[in-house]
Amino acid sequence: MNKKIAGPLAWFFLGATLLFLYILPAHSAVEVMTVLGEEAPPGFDPVTGKRVIPTVRCLKCHGDESEQTDVDDDGNEIEIYIPPHKFEDSVHGKRRCAECHANITRVPHRQEPEVVVGCIECHRQTWDANKDKPDNEFKRLGVVIEQIEKYQDSVHARPEDEDDPSVLNAGCYDCHDAHNIGTLGSHQRDEHRLENPEVCGECHRKQRNKYKKSVHGKAVMEDGDSEAAVCSDCHTMHEIDSPEGDKVMLQITTNCGNCHEESRQTYRSSYHGQVNKLGYTHTAKCYDCHGGHNVLAIKDPASAVHEENRLETCRQCHEDAPEGFIGFHPHGNANDFEKYPVMWITAKFMQALIIGILAFFWVHVMLWFYREYQDRKAGKSFAHPKPGDDTVYIRRFTATWRWIHLLFAVSTMILVLSGTTLLFSHTAWASFVMDMLGGPKVEAILHRTAATIWLSVFLVHFFIAMTNIVRNRKTFRWFGPSSMVPNLQDLRDVGAMFSWFFGRRERPSFDRFSYWQKFDYWAPFWGAAVIGFSGLMLFIPTLTASFLPGWVFNIATIVHAEEALLATMFLFTVHFFNSHFRPDRFPMSTIMFTGAVPLEEFKFEHRLEYERLKESGELEKMLVKPPSRTMEKGSQALAAVLIFAGLGLLTLVFIGYMTMPG
Amino acid sequence: MSKINRRDFIRVTAGAGLVGGTLGFPGLLMAASPKVVVIGGGVGGCTAAKYLRKLDPKIEVTLIETKKAYTSCFMSNEVLSGDRTLESLTFDYEGLKRHGVNIVIDRVTAIDLAMKSVATESGESFNYDACVVSPGVDFKWDAIEGYDAEVAETIPHAWFAGPQTMTLRKQIESMPEGGKVIIVAPPNPYKCPPGPYERAAQIAMYCKHHKPRAKILILDPKDRFSKQGLFRQGWSKLYGFGTDDSMIEWVGAAGGGTVEELDPSTRTLQAEVEEFQADVINIIPPQKAGKVAFASDLVEGDWCPVDKLTFESTRHPNVFVLGDASSAAKMPKSAYAANSQAKVAAAAIVARFNGQDPGEPTFVNTCYSILGEAHGISVAAVYSLDREANTIMPIKGSGGLSPMDASEEQRKREVSYAHSWFKNVIDDMMG
Amino acid sequence: MSRERHIIILALLALLPITALAESPTAAALSYTCAGCHGTDGSSVGPSSPSIAGMDPEIFIDAMQDYKVDKRNATIMNRIAKAYSDEQIKGMAWYFAKQKLELLPQSTDTQLVELGTTLHDKYCEKCHEEGGRSGDTGTLAGQWMPYLDYAMEDFIAGRRDYPRKMKRKVDAAIKAEGEQAMPALIHYYGSQHNSAQKEASHE
Repeated sequence: MNKKIAGPLAWFFLGATLLFLYILPAHSAVEVMTVLGEEAPPGFDPVTGKRVIPTVRCLKCHGDESEQTDVDDDGNEIEIYIPPHKFEDSVHGKRRCAECHANITRVPHRQEPEVVVGCIECHRQTWDANKDKPDNEFKRLGVVIEQIEKYQDSVHARPEDEDDPSVLNAGCYDCHDAHNIGTLGSHQRDEHRLENPEVCGECHRKQRNKYKKSVHGKAVMEDGDSEAAVCSDCHTMHEIDSPEGDKVMLQITTNCGNCHEESRQTYRSSYHGQVNKLGYTHTAKCYDCHGGHNVLAIKDPASAVHEENRLETCRQCHEDAPEGFIGFHPHGNANDFEKYPVMWITAKFMQALIIGILAFFWVHVMLWFYREYQDRKAGKSFAHPKPGDDTVYIRRFTATWRWIHLLFAVSTMILVLSGTTLLFSHTAWASFVMDMLGGPKVEAILHRTAATIWLSVFLVHFFIAMTNIVRNRKTFRWFGPSSMVPNLQDLRDVGAMFSWFFGRRERPSFDRFSYWQKFDYWAPFWGAAVIGFSGLMLFIPTLTASFLPGWVFNIATIVHAEEALLATMFLFTVHFFNSHFRPDRFPMSTIMFTGAVPLEEFKFEHRLEYERLKESGELEKMLVKPPSRTMEKGSQALAAVLIFAGLGLLTLVFIGYMTMPG
Repeated sequence: MSKINRRDFIRVTAGAGLVGGTLGFPGLLMAASPKVVVIGGGVGGCTAAKYLRKLDPKIEVTLIETKKAYTSCFMSNEVLSGDRTLESLTFDYEGLKRHGVNIVIDRVTAIDLAMKSVATESGESFNYDACVVSPGVDFKWDAIEGYDAEVAETIPHAWFAGPQTMTLRKQIESMPEGGKVIIVAPPNPYKCPPGPYERAAQIAMYCKHHKPRAKILILDPKDRFSKQGLFRQGWSKLYGFGTDDSMIEWVGAAGGGTVEELDPSTRTLQAEVEEFQADVINIIPPQKAGKVAFASDLVEGDWCPVDKLTFESTRHPNVFVLGDASSAAKMPKSAYAANSQAKVAAAAIVARFNGQDPGEPTFVNTCYSILGEAHGISVAAVYSLDREANTIMPIKGSGGLSPMDASEEQRKREVSYAHSWFKNVIDDMMG
Repeated sequence: MSRERHIIILALLALLPITALAESPTAAALSYTCAGCHGTDGSSVGPSSPSIAGMDPEIFIDAMQDYKVDKRNATIMNRIAKAYSDEQIKGMAWYFAKQKLELLPQSTDTQLVELGTTLHDKYCEKCHEEGGRSGDTGTLAGQWMPYLDYAMEDFIAGRRDYPRKMKRKVDAAIKAEGEQAMPALIHYYGSQHNSAQKEASHE
């Protein structure tokens, strides 16, 4: 052969052979199978050549109601009956038996059937093939896929024996009767619910037996009430795990509330529930008091929460709980006047107080802002001293008061943060903060430590103030300019101030303490008393309950929270405005930190005091040098931090308040 | 290269095949439907006619046969035992007519190979695109001196089922008790290889009841014969073969069984070694292809050579020779073989009309012999074609004889299956 | 050897599977050869070789494979079955499964048929559905009675393996009706050619 053409010719020959024999045929569409020119006969799949076994063929034996058993190859009697109408009505009713029982390729089957049901595989494949279809035919399958994923992470999907991974704790068909899975709303689903305790009880016998006697169990197993709780309602259907774990404990608590919705809500507004909501499980959960599998109606004398047994139940955690605990309403609801009138009244009073005070002062703030802004534009104000100016200052607060204010401010903020984290346990930020703080137990210590400092400050202040008063008892005028006690002038000042707001007169002049400064003082003073006292009651419940009825905890909780909210919102809005944000002061005032105020400003703000001091000659004694640069800068930084912290807390509180459920 | 899909490819190749095919059948270019003339209404001819119509109803099939009805040779030994009438072996051609086969009762004189037409005695002529020739066997009368077609009227061969079968039956019936029957077996090759030996058994079956001292002697020019071991076992079990008192006796070539001459008047046979005289003589002469094959130049030696892929004559194209007349080694000359070959030929003819290559051929032969009321034996074979050797070879590991020493139940069932075979093969060829 | 020759050999090797395929006759051609005993396209005209037209292909394959290895009692089929490859057996199975079953009447005993009807309904119908019509357990309705007789003799005598569960049913039928049981069933099936045929023609 000519060597030159032999090579290409040979390659061409190979190429053509491969093309016509292998490549081209592979491009044709789904090929019908033939065997020596013969296509598959009817009853066989034309593409795979495999037998197609119609369901009706299987039901010939398995659907015969009159012969529900057969004997296997070892002579043992076995159940073989599949109720045909149930299967046909089921979600799998259109599938052929052998699609799941894949080892059955012929009927009558030549070998004993193994249960080769690839539930997961089949559902996944079907989902993958159909999930993008526009019609909703396979929508429900998406839910199945979710459940499958949950199941695969569950304890049931783990091997029974670590050495033998083939045997799982429970497979799909241990719980599901694939021949009788109902579509949504079908009678099969009700039946499946009613069978649920027995299905789970097949393995969890002890629990089944307890459940059977419970209020749920009786409704389901005796009365056939498919609405009553079955195992899966509390334990979930597929996310099953050990009830020792936090996740399951929280889940079950949540799930109780799927039926007992109001109870869940009221529980969550209690300390027990707030902690639980934040993801911690050491406080009482539904089943800790009511019982789990053996839960009984409250009126049932055997119930753990029956009046007779309740104290015993409380003592499971509150070891020394006195009788008074019985009076506590763990599900007290301040919105329910019928059942809890005192709580209702307290809550309403506190709400009215909050609304009233805030309404007044917010209007006050807005008007003030407007007027002062106008005045400042018109040059009717004092000039802020420029840095380096040799301005004359006047001493306004001594170091003691400044320290007290700082300690008070910081401890208040800590209390607000740690307190609202519980109060607003429903928010996302609360869980975050709680985790940051290190959990409710750390939070409790923090809150109580801050409360102790806070109360101590309050008491120290009270002591100093009283000592001062006593020491100057001869000269001290209860209604004088140095007294914090409101007087008639304050009332007149309010009128004068409003007249100024509306432009009817010039800005009024004040003595040492203006009425709003007095309010700024008295608000926390009152708050400290109320919050402190209610907080103390909750801090030492055993002692409290030994001489007070348990329902005071419900009241104390409301008062404590509402008053704290009021204080928070007042401090971080009204107080911040009065002291820092009004046009004359903006962006901040450092007086409370440096203790000194420029004489010009003092003259402007407290003209009456200025004149009085000048007259008495005391003014000269009170004049001081401007605060050092370090002092000024440090005070500004401190004020900024506190202001931002306050505004931050305010934001969190607003979020929590606005999103509060119920 | 432009896109060519698989279907186009098939279309192109099929088209090319059609062009090639029609070159071999120029008549097709004019005729709307192809014509096939079948000569001979036996198993080969009938089966070919029926399957041609079955495979392609467009084909016009004309079958030319001399006799109005077909009488099967197979099972005709049962007429000799009295188990069966000749009528039960006789079938008309109505079944084939229902399949759309044109039946012509006439005698073919010759095939005009050049004109592709078949002429008959009555002067008719039939054009064909393919001609199937299945004439069966004819006798070589000169092999035994003193024996010819005329003598055969009184000393019958009874090798075609018909009047001679009845003649032989009557001669046996009228033979005196203790009388002697001689069967002269033919040399190979001949149609129905176990036939002479089954015939001996069937005559013995009759005699056992009616003439228990009668003797049946087979004179055979061969040393071995079909199903020999099974026959000997059956004969001995049923008719004492191998004992002094045996009803059946067989003399092979080595024992001087080759017959050279017949004296019809004394019913004496001169064999190689000695003379044999009998009350009834049945001579089955040596055989060759039927007359039409000789008249049409299809024969080499005694038989018609064929391409075993299609059974087309190797001497003349478009003529297909089937059954006993063809040279189809290693298949025996049997009804089942002819039936099987006819289907291969029919498929090959249809393939050619459609411009396709003939498919791979497959053949089966089964042959039953009935030795007693409840004693049947069989041979079976499945064959494929060894193209290189142009030989139809039995598939290794398959086929063979009924087992020796089988149970009575098995032997009895084979009788029943033999009758099934008979009914079904008749039905398959003409029902 | 030259490189060109290597390539050509490679191409020829690629052709091999096709060549191997062409070595088998078609399933139809193979099936035609059965007609001599089982009738044209498998509808036997009797008296004892069974009809295999419309036969379940897997039952066909079972039978042929069992014959092939002498697992099932046979007169001639074991010798024939050994000639065919698995593929050829499957091809024939598919061919015959698609053929219309033509049945002929057989003479039956009315009383036996009546008893057989009861026995069938009680012991056989679950597997041999609809009176034993052609299906996944073979063809009983209208089948040739001698063949059914041989089959049952072989089962009972242990010459043929019972399909799973069948022995229990046969034993129970015999226990209930004694020696009459099998003839009764056979007569029942033998009497079914009409219904079986009518139904078959509907398909």
